[in-house]
Amino acid sequence: MKKAIAILAALLMAASLASCANTPADAAQPALSGTVKTGGSTSVESVMTALIYQFQENNRSVTVNYEMNGSGDGIKNTISGLYEIGHSSRELKTDGSESGLDAVAYAIDGIAIIVNKANTTQTLTKDQVKGIYTGAITSWSEVGGQDALITVVTREEGSGTRSAFAEIIGLEKSGDDSTAIVSYAAVSDSTGAVQTTVSQNPDAIGYISFSEVDANQVNTVQYEGVTVSSDSLKDGTYKLKREFYLVTKQGATLTPAAQAFKDYVLGTDGQKIVGEKKLLPIK
Amino acid sequence: MTSSAAADAAKEGFSIRQRRRSGQALEGAMHCVFLVCGLSAVASVAFICIHVAVSGWPIIAKYGLDFLLGQSWNPGNSQFGVLPMITASVAATAAAMVVALPSGVLAAVFLAKIAPDRVSAVLRTFVDLLSGIPSVVYGLLGAILIVPKIFKIQSAAGLPAGGSLLAAAIMLAIMILPTIISVSETALRAVPKQYEDASLALGATKLQCVFKTTIPAAKSGITAGMALGIGRAAGEAMAVMMVAGNAAIMPSLLKPARLLTASIPIEWAYSSGVHREALYGIGLVLFVFIMALNITVRRIMKKGAGQGE
Repeated sequence: MKKAIAILAALLMAASLASCANTPADAAQPALSGTVKTGGSTSVESVMTALIYQFQENNRSVTVNYEMNGSGDGIKNTISGLYEIGHSSRELKTDGSESGLDAVAYAIDGIAIIVNKANTTQTLTKDQVKGIYTGAITSWSEVGGQDALITVVTREEGSGTRSAFAEIIGLEKSGDDSTAIVSYAAVSDSTGAVQTTVSQNPDAIGYISFSEVDANQVNTVQYEGVTVSSDSLKDGTYKLKREFYLVTKQGATLTPAAQAFKDYVLGTDGQKIVGEKKLLPIK
Repeated sequence: MTSSAAADAAKEGFSIRQRRRSGQALEGAMHCVFLVCGLSAVASVAFICIHVAVSGWPIIAKYGLDFLLGQSWNPGNSQFGVLPMITASVAATAAAMVVALPSGVLAAVFLAKIAPDRVSAVLRTFVDLLSGIPSVVYGLLGAILIVPKIFKIQSAAGLPAGGSLLAAAIMLAIMILPTIISVSETALRAVPKQYEDASLALGATKLQCVFKTTIPAAKSGITAGMALGIGRAAGEAMAVMMVAGNAAIMPSLLKPARLLTASIPIEWAYSSGVHREALYGIGLVLFVFIMALNITVRRIMKKGAGQGE
């Protein structure tokens, strides 16, 4: 027994020595090290996780943190200096509360309007979508679908997808009922939850990031006669879209590792990963 | 013999004394350990109380009755009325109680008084298992099995199909059943046998005996089970969030509803500033609600114990 433990310990030591010897060799050429603190939007999760994974593979001594807490916190914590790079899935506010920052877009994301697989509705105009979300249109039969009441599914207050969707469709936050999202809309707290809800309810409509659409679960509806796809995003015909941003402090010098990460995301390799995630690369 | 016995006795006395001394040191050390453990529970409760109160108070101070009695929850527009959530929580809990209390008590009667020992042992295992299922699993089953069943009722009533207060109430009823059953069963078993014997001797049938003697005698225990069930129902977030539809409107059985508990996890991630303060405020309301329930339970239990003496 003791012998077994001794052998195990020896093996472990050998392994740890080996890994010690390996790391510097791998990271030798870029000579980057340290931790890059980033955080923000949850909509960018799938693309950002892939980018970080590949970046860390290339630079073994660098760790990129990504706290998923929403665009608002991403921006705020970049202002306070907690994050070197903030993730935002909406533009910076122009009311002065988010000044002193640079936002660089690295991807364009389509917002897909999704319905249940059993739903026969093919296409919706901007006005129809607005009507549905403000409660002016309540039945699918009014927009060429089945004779059933529409179950409106929305994201929770504060979500980047919700604010981008509301802005494009023309849904105001103000108390004016004719332009606000109906109060009886079902609220789901994540992209996945919206998709699940819509997939289980034949009369539901929802909106999620195109990069997260699972065609086995839900159908996408044409917006203004255009089907959401990588192509329609690229040629600019699909209008329901928003950009993903990296947010940094204006004039601040990033640490070498953070700068390298930013360059990577905007560079050829990073943009290729963006494209693989059903997003439109900015370059 | 006498001399060696005396020597043994002396030796033993010595060793006992020695042991006692080291025993006292250990006793003292353990006393400290227990004290620290005991205090850590008190400290946790005190810390949570203070934290929730301090972080939840500002929004209530700022908005006052508009917060507690406002009917419109629209953080983007600085409207923070939590009345829809308070009423939804109360309504869902009450509706769950209406279903769970009678069936729970009757199940407890069956387990304690009617079923043969072996059957009740098996059933009790299942009840215990029911209470051990994680709430997210309840939520999943509710979303897949219960919510779609209500679609038809909703469309018959001219309402859009989706999550509803009714679904949440059914979920909660199932979730609090084990609490009600096991507490009620304990209470029913604790009823002195003489009461039942007397009742039966006076010519009562078994059912009359149970309903006229045993249940009334176990009333305080059953009430405590009910209050514990209410506490669990009011505090449940995960399962409810997955079936209720979460629209912050005044509750109606077939419409979506947002409960106090669900509001916090739904909006937490993206909230900031006053919005986050408002979520803390909801936490405070919920905390006071549950604390009040707990105090009520303790009162009832004490009263019950007093009656027993």
